[in-house]
Amino acid sequence: MMLFSRVRGLPVLTLGDADRVGVVRALTVDAGSGEVTHVRIRRGRMRKEAVVAWDALGAVGPDLLIARPAGDPSGVPPHHDLVGSRVLTECGEERGTVLDAAFDPATARIEAVLTTRGELPAGRLLGLGDHALVIRTGHGHPG
Amino acid sequence: MNALTAVRSLTTLPVVTLGGDAVAHVKDTVFDPEAGRIASFTLTGRTLLSGPLPRDLPWAAVHCLGRHAVMVRDEGALCALPLSVARRDAVRGRLLGAHVMTDDGDLVGTVLDVLVEGGTSGRLVAFRLAAHRELVHGTRHRRHRVYVPRGEALSVSGRTLVIPAHATTYVTDDLPAFTARVGAYHDRGGRAAS
Repeated sequence: MMLFSRVRGLPVLTLGDADRVGVVRALTVDAGSGEVTHVRIRRGRMRKEAVVAWDALGAVGPDLLIARPAGDPSGVPPHHDLVGSRVLTECGEERGTVLDAAFDPATARIEAVLTTRGELPAGRLLGLGDHALVIRTGHGHPG
Repeated sequence: MNALTAVRSLTTLPVVTLGGDAVAHVKDTVFDPEAGRIASFTLTGRTLLSGPLPRDLPWAAVHCLGRHAVMVRDEGALCALPLSVARRDAVRGRLLGAHVMTDDGDLVGTVLDVLVEGGTSGRLVAFRLAAHRELVHGTRHRRHRVYVPRGEALSVSGRTLVIPAHATTYVTDDLPAFTARVGAYHDRGGRAAS
């Protein structure tokens, strides 16, 4: 298990020559499927950030990430930060903000989301957009 | 029963898809007085200067009405409703600011706000009145915090709203206690009808 807060800032190296690409800035999440899809890498002050698909990572360690030579960045979904986003139920009620999230680096599946109002199981995530992370309400509610 | 929401507080509420994107803000609420519920919302764009959107959100497309957002399934829920422009002027204007009369013919006040049930029902539950002295005694401030449950036999004509006379016996100025009052009103109405 790995935490979003621990991954942030880790150095990313390339597989062949151990060249330093940059540091992890954020993880892009597909809330519908509950998976981490991309890693966004800050390469330096004046350079555009790189986006690497999670599948394209060679290895994920506790202290660094190893990326295979990157393919083209086409088809990258729009990025919304999970950490810090507002939590909204599908009934339109706010439920705090996201503090952190835990995921499995091997499968990229999110295991739990920690919010200011407690922990959410990953199965309740519905979508993450520019306004909020939308979650399912507890059972027994229509929709 | 879902929480009661004042319609005036719905203005500026974001319209959020289940994907988490805010697509618009609520501008006005359009009522369907015959059905006693919200008919649709008119919308403004997301930024301060974006102005009204030429699209409406019909109540049927609302996933859920909450305290912090109006939830819709996706952006396709917003639709261009040319009818609604005419309807907004005809219907919405009649509720906020309308004169309230009982079916005995007494003028009891004017509508300041409308309370609706949130969630998926959108049912019109009660009115907040600027009550006349005959209905409630006291200061102007107190008379502007008066709630009257919506009668079952609600009718609207022009700028006048007619409620059953016995509804005015359930007048209250305490919103938390009001939900219980509405329940009592409905229980009594049910017995009277049978």
